[in-house]
Amino acid sequence: MTAATVESHGYGALAYLNGFLAGLERELRELRRSPDRLMALVTAPMLTLVFLAIMLHAGRDDLASFAVLAPALLVLWQMALQTSGDTVESERENGSLEALVVAPAPFPAVITGRITAVTAVSLLGFVESWVVAWLVFGVHVEIHHPSVFLGAVLTTGYATAGSAMALAALFVRTRAARAFQNSLTYPFYVLGGVMVPVSYLPDWLEPLTRLVFLSWSSDLMRAAVGPEPVPDVALHLVMIVLLGTVGAIIGGVLVRRALAEIRRTGTIGHA
Amino acid sequence: MPDSRTGTRRPRPEVATKLPRGTTARVVLASTRNAWADLTATFTITSWTLGWLGRIIAQVVFYALIGSLLGSPDRIRYLFIGSAVLATAMEALLVVSTTTRERYSGTLPLLVAAPTRLWPVLLGRSVQWLPSGVATATVALFVVGHAFGVSFTLGDGFAAFGVLLLVAVTTYGYGLALAAVVLRFMRLRNWATNLSYTVMMLVCGVMVPLTFWPPWVQWFAQIFPLTHDLQVIRLLESGTYTAREVLLHLGLSVLVALGWYTIGALLLERLVTTGRRDGTIEFAEA
Repeated sequence: MTAATVESHGYGALAYLNGFLAGLERELRELRRSPDRLMALVTAPMLTLVFLAIMLHAGRDDLASFAVLAPALLVLWQMALQTSGDTVESERENGSLEALVVAPAPFPAVITGRITAVTAVSLLGFVESWVVAWLVFGVHVEIHHPSVFLGAVLTTGYATAGSAMALAALFVRTRAARAFQNSLTYPFYVLGGVMVPVSYLPDWLEPLTRLVFLSWSSDLMRAAVGPEPVPDVALHLVMIVLLGTVGAIIGGVLVRRALAEIRRTGTIGHA
Repeated sequence: MPDSRTGTRRPRPEVATKLPRGTTARVVLASTRNAWADLTATFTITSWTLGWLGRIIAQVVFYALIGSLLGSPDRIRYLFIGSAVLATAMEALLVVSTTTRERYSGTLPLLVAAPTRLWPVLLGRSVQWLPSGVATATVALFVVGHAFGVSFTLGDGFAAFGVLLLVAVTTYGYGLALAAVVLRFMRLRNWATNLSYTVMMLVCGVMVPLTFWPPWVQWFAQIFPLTHDLQVIRLLESGTYTAREVLLHLGLSVLVALGWYTIGALLLERLVTTGRRDGTIEFAEA
């Protein structure tokens, strides 16, 4: 019996676990069958080359680590957006969103499972960027603080999944999920300091950037790669986890509310 | 034409034009109605302005900021212009998405069965992306650009706007040819668009000058109209150019684009011919 076929009529922890595993399994199958969903992993190596070319052309080999980290973070966010939007939108187009919502497995748990699977796969973006930089330009970026880096990657993965949950809540409510997917990319890359640290942005933007977990992640990862001691490791890790948790809680609550509302008004499908 | 059974007129699609019936131009024009309808279904003025335009501006700023990181105003300007003009090309490439959607939605067999050739229909089908792409880059270059040190004289600004139109139209030709290929390999439709876009970003002089790359890459870049058009916009912005070099680049861009339009039309007609013969123009996804 697979996780997807386990019956669960309650809304206890077991029901959540079953829903989560079913979503995870479903997404891994989907990823194998739909190359489109892995697109971000194809564009990541290309973007690594773009960013590295800019740095090398300017004679700033010292900034190569920025160029290698940015595409990986970009991929994480892009795939989270894509999945949270596509998950809802494709089920809606397929006419199966209604069935998913009334199924015994809690809908938020299924969505979380799917998002977790995508986030885990997206972490491959880090490996891709490193390999491409080395193969094409012969640039080898050494990670001087591997444990800090690993902590940053894992907490960032968690925060990505949490934020994707909040996005999924948004997408359940709107019929224009794909438009939102497109609009929420680059503004977040800028505010998240994905390529250029947020200290380069105008001062008045800084409070806003600190609400975007990517800004903490990118700062910590860049510092973990460099040879100097990494400042405020705990603060960064806590903030990443905190913002991810806030996203997950807000997302979970909003999804439940949205589901209650669309069940009442019958506005879930295309009708 | 009166209906023989009811005596009433059969409803006909409204195509208000004096172009003679049965001509290719009339088919293209009729198809563009679909494109405009698609645009209004995709965006409202608010969602285009706050959502799409905002996203493109953020994209351009994202790349320009790399210039700040490098501490070079010249690099800021270079990256800003490159990524702003690239936005026009990126939107023109959406022709791949909207063309292949005809196959997804099952309308391709009907288009193939219609008493006209396929290529004029698909030529007009996705033109909605051209004004959108030109508008986003126009706002980026001429409005936001000032904050990043990008400026044009009035005359050069008008000329640059004209070149933006050319970027849209010429890249659309490349996109149409790509769409014709992707119609046979539907699962790759988003890959083809995104890879084309990032390859353009890499080799067309968008982020680094062509001379950064080995000669074979520089030669490869010539197949993209964007390479030539972008060169002209950079010349216009610098204010130091000769009419000869501008015309040379524009001529090359048009020539390359004509090649892509021809390839696109031929591939689309071949798709129809082989599809009719072996029954591969189906109602569902390939």
